[in-house]
Amino acid sequence: MFFFAVQIVTGVLLLMYYQPGEATAYESIRYLTTKVPFGWLMRSVHCWSAHLMIISLVTHMFSTMMLKAYRPPRELTWVTGYFLFALTLGFGFSGYLLPWNKLAFFATSVGTDLVKSVPLSGNWLLQVLRGGPDVTANTLYRFFALHVVILPLAFVALISIHLLFVQRQGMAPPLGAKVAPRGMKFFPSFALRDLLLWLVCFMVLLVLAVFVPYGPGIPGMDWELGEKADPLAPAFPGIKPEWYFLWEYQLLKEFPPHLLGMEGPQLCLLVVSLLLGIWAIIPWLDRRAARDQPSPGFSDFGWGAILFLTFLTLKAWDIGATKPVTAASSLKAISSTCAWWTVGAGAASVGVRFLVHGHRWFFLTGAALLHVVLHGLLGLSYLGAGVLAVVLAAIGVTVSVFRSGGAGVNLGGSR
Amino acid sequence: MRILILCQLACLVAAANAADEKPFVVPQKLAALLDAQGKDGNPVITPEQRANFDGLNDHLKALLSNAVEREIITRPDHLGTILTLGLRPQKMEVFLQDNCVLCHTDPEVQKPESLFSLSPASTSSPAHLNLRDLVDDVHFGRGLSCAGCHGGDPANDKIEHAFVKEWPGTGRGKDRSWILSFCARCHADPTFMNRFNPSLPTDQLTKYKESPHGKLLLETKDPRAPDCVSCHGVHGIRNAKNPLSKVYRKRVPETCGACHADPTRMAGLTLPDGSPIPTTQLAEYRASVHGRALLERGDLGAPACNNCHGNHAAMPVGLSSVSQSCGLCHAGNASLFDGSKHKQAFEEHKWPQCGQCHGHHGIVKTSDSLLAAGPEALCTKCHQQYAKDHPECRATATYFYTSIIQMDQAWNSFGVTAEQLAMKGLDVDAIHDKLNELADSLKQARSYIHSFSKNGFERVAAPGEHAVQRISRLVAEAKREYRLRQFGLLASIALIGLVMLALYLKLRSLER
Repeated sequence: MFFFAVQIVTGVLLLMYYQPGEATAYESIRYLTTKVPFGWLMRSVHCWSAHLMIISLVTHMFSTMMLKAYRPPRELTWVTGYFLFALTLGFGFSGYLLPWNKLAFFATSVGTDLVKSVPLSGNWLLQVLRGGPDVTANTLYRFFALHVVILPLAFVALISIHLLFVQRQGMAPPLGAKVAPRGMKFFPSFALRDLLLWLVCFMVLLVLAVFVPYGPGIPGMDWELGEKADPLAPAFPGIKPEWYFLWEYQLLKEFPPHLLGMEGPQLCLLVVSLLLGIWAIIPWLDRRAARDQPSPGFSDFGWGAILFLTFLTLKAWDIGATKPVTAASSLKAISSTCAWWTVGAGAASVGVRFLVHGHRWFFLTGAALLHVVLHGLLGLSYLGAGVLAVVLAAIGVTVSVFRSGGAGVNLGGSR
Repeated sequence: MRILILCQLACLVAAANAADEKPFVVPQKLAALLDAQGKDGNPVITPEQRANFDGLNDHLKALLSNAVEREIITRPDHLGTILTLGLRPQKMEVFLQDNCVLCHTDPEVQKPESLFSLSPASTSSPAHLNLRDLVDDVHFGRGLSCAGCHGGDPANDKIEHAFVKEWPGTGRGKDRSWILSFCARCHADPTFMNRFNPSLPTDQLTKYKESPHGKLLLETKDPRAPDCVSCHGVHGIRNAKNPLSKVYRKRVPETCGACHADPTRMAGLTLPDGSPIPTTQLAEYRASVHGRALLERGDLGAPACNNCHGNHAAMPVGLSSVSQSCGLCHAGNASLFDGSKHKQAFEEHKWPQCGQCHGHHGIVKTSDSLLAAGPEALCTKCHQQYAKDHPECRATATYFYTSIIQMDQAWNSFGVTAEQLAMKGLDVDAIHDKLNELADSLKQARSYIHSFSKNGFERVAAPGEHAVQRISRLVAEAKREYRLRQFGLLASIALIGLVMLALYLKLRSLER
C-alpha cells in the first residue's frame, strides 16, 4: 500500500516531464534524470518502489497462502489480491517500455511476442497489444495509457474492494484458533503502527535510491537508461525480462519448439495458465482449510511452488555459467549449480518445517526437489524430469490420501 | 481516361495470351532420365537436383532436352551432375550450348584425367579440371568458355582445338612468355574489353613488361618468373573482388608469399642495389599492424603487398616514393613530415622517410615511449649519433612526451571516474563531451609529432590541456553534488527517525 502510494506520488511527478513519443520519450527521461533538480531521485525512487512493491506482494501472497488466510469467507479477498498482483505485474511490464531505451524495446518485443501463442486469437491480440504488427510508437502510446490511466484506475477500484473485504471480515484468525484474536483499535493504535512501518520502508527506499540509483545491476533489476531504442538495429543476445518474469522466460526456454503436436510456447503457456488457474481457485480447492482443519498438502504446494520458481529464476540468471555462456558445458554447469542451491534451500525449508513446525507432509516439495535433482544433477531433460517427478508425487499423494482417508488419521497434524 | 482503358484492355489481352501458352512438356527421353532408378531402386536424380530442374525456364529445359535428344547426355548421373550445379539462367544457357563442357562432364565418355568433375580432388591438377571452378570462372560468366582459349566451335560436334595450335608446340612450360601475349589478345585490346567491362584497364601487359617480374621472364627467361596464370590461376579465374580469387585482397599476401617467402625459389635474385631479396617479408607483414588488420580482423581497408608495390608493375618501393605510398592512407602525417625540417635531413642521409622510424613490412603499433628517453626512444638514439649539436631538439621531444602522457593519463583516469560517477546517478554528459574533446586533441597531438615543430604541436595540444582542466572542475563539482546528496539523505533519515521516535513514544503512552 505504501509503495503504491509512493508510486502514485513519484509517478505524477515524473509525468510532469515525461513526453511519450518516439522522438521524445527517451530524451525526456534523460533530461529528467540529468537536468531536472531531484529528477534522478524521483525516477530512482519510482523504480525501487516498483520492485519493492512486487517483493512485498509476493511475500504477502505466500504468507496468506501458508497461513490459509483465504479460508471462507475470505475467498474473494484472495481472488481480488490475485488480480491486484496481476495488475502490478502489468504495471511493471508497461512501465518498462516507457523510457524507450534499447533494452526495454527488445524486451517488450520478445515479451509481447508470447501473446501469439494464445490459440485462435493470438495474432489479433498481438496487434491489439502492440497497436500494429511490430513494437512502434503506437505500442509506446498504448503502454503509456495503460500505465498511467487504465491500470491505476483498475488498481484503485480493486484495492478498494480488497480493503473493504478486509475491513468487513477482519483479519483471518490463525487456523484452528479457538479464542478470538486480540483486537486493536484501527485509530490510533493500528494506524500509528502502520505509519511506523511505512516510515521504515520510506527510509530503506531513500537509502537504496541514493546509493544504488540504477538498481543492484542483476539481470531484471537494473534500470540504467543506456542507449535509445533503435527499431532497425538487430536484437542483441541475452535479452531478459524483469526478475519477476524470469521464471516464465526460463520455462519457455525449457520447452522444445514442438511437442505433442503443439508449438512449444503454446504448450508452455497452457501449463502456466493451468498452474495460475489452480493458484487462483485455491480457496475452493482447499476443502480441509475451509473446515478449519489443517491442510498440509496445500502448505506443501506453496513450498513446492517457491522451489519451482526459485530454480527457474536462478537458472535464468545463469548462475554457475562458464564461458562461453551458451556452450553445452556451461548450460550443464548452470543447471547443476542452480540445482545445488535449490536443493540446499529446499532441505533447509524442509528441516525447519519438520523440526520447528512439526510438518510431516512433503510430497510436493519432494517432487519439486526431485525434479531439480533429476534435471540439474542427473542430466535428464527439464520436461522429462518434471513429468517423472509429477507422476511420482501423484502416486505418493494418492497413496497418502487413500491411507489417511481409510484410517481417518490427520496427516501428521501439521498445517 | 481513354488511355487508361486501352492500357487495361492491353493488359487483359496479354494475360489471356499468357494463359494460352502451353506449359513445357518434358519429352519422353528426358523424363526417362529424370525418373531413372539406380541399382538400389532409389531415384538417381536427387530431390535437390529435381528442384533445380523444375526451377529452369522453358528455354533452358528445351536446351537440356536438345542435348539429351542429340545423345550428348545419355545417363542420369551425367544429368544429375549438371543439375547439381544450380546455375543461374545465363550461365546455364552457356553451359547447355557448349558441347565441350557437356561432353567433358560425362564420366562414361571421359578418362579420369579429362573429366570435369565436382569432386574436391580435381582442384589439384588443371588437366583434371574442377567443374565448380570452371562455371565460377569470370570468363565463363561472360559467355567465354573452353573454346575461348582452346579454340574450336562449341556448338559443333567436331572436336577442334584451333587456338591450341597457336601455343608453342614444345617447351610451353619452360618459356612461358607466350602466355602473356595469349591473354593480351583480349586483355590489351580496349575495343574488345569495352564490350565486357569498360572500366577494366588494358595496360596490364605494358606495366608487366616494365616490372622486374616481366624483365625476369621476358629478358632473363628465368623459369621462376611469374606470368599471368601464376597469380590469377588457369581455370577458375575469379574477379579480384571474389574472396575465392587468388588476388582477392586478403589472399594477396599468400599469393605473393608463395614465391617471395620461399628461400629456395628466391635464391640468387637481387634487389636493384645488388643485395639479395629477403624472404622474411610475409612473416613480418603477418605480425605487422597492417597484416593483423587485414588477415585477422578482415579489415579490407588495410593494405596488402600490392598497395605499396603495385600490381602488374610490382616493384620495390623507391626511396623517394615510400612516403608517397604511406601517404596514400596516412595523408595527414605524411604532409606534416613533408613540411618539417626532418625531410631535408632524411634526404641528405638517403633514408626512406616513414620507413626509417616505423619499419617496412613489419610495422608495429607505435607507442608514446618512442619519444621518451628509454631504450625504445627513437629520437634520442638517432640524435646522439647524427645530430648531437641540437640540444633544443631533446627539449622538444621531452615536451612532446610529457604533454602526450599527461593527456593520455588524464583521459584514462577521468574515463574511469566518469563511469563511477554515472553509476552513482550523476550527470556526466558534460564530462563525456570534454573527454571527447580531449581524445580529439590527443589524436591530433600524436599526429603533429610528425611536424617536429613545437609551435604546431602546442596549437593542437592546447584544447586538450584546457579540456583536462575543465574535466577536473566538472569532476570536483559532481563529487560535491554526490556529497550533498548523501548529506541530504542523512538529514532526511534523521528527520524520519525523529518522527518515528515520536510515534513510538506516542504509541507507548496510548497503550500504557
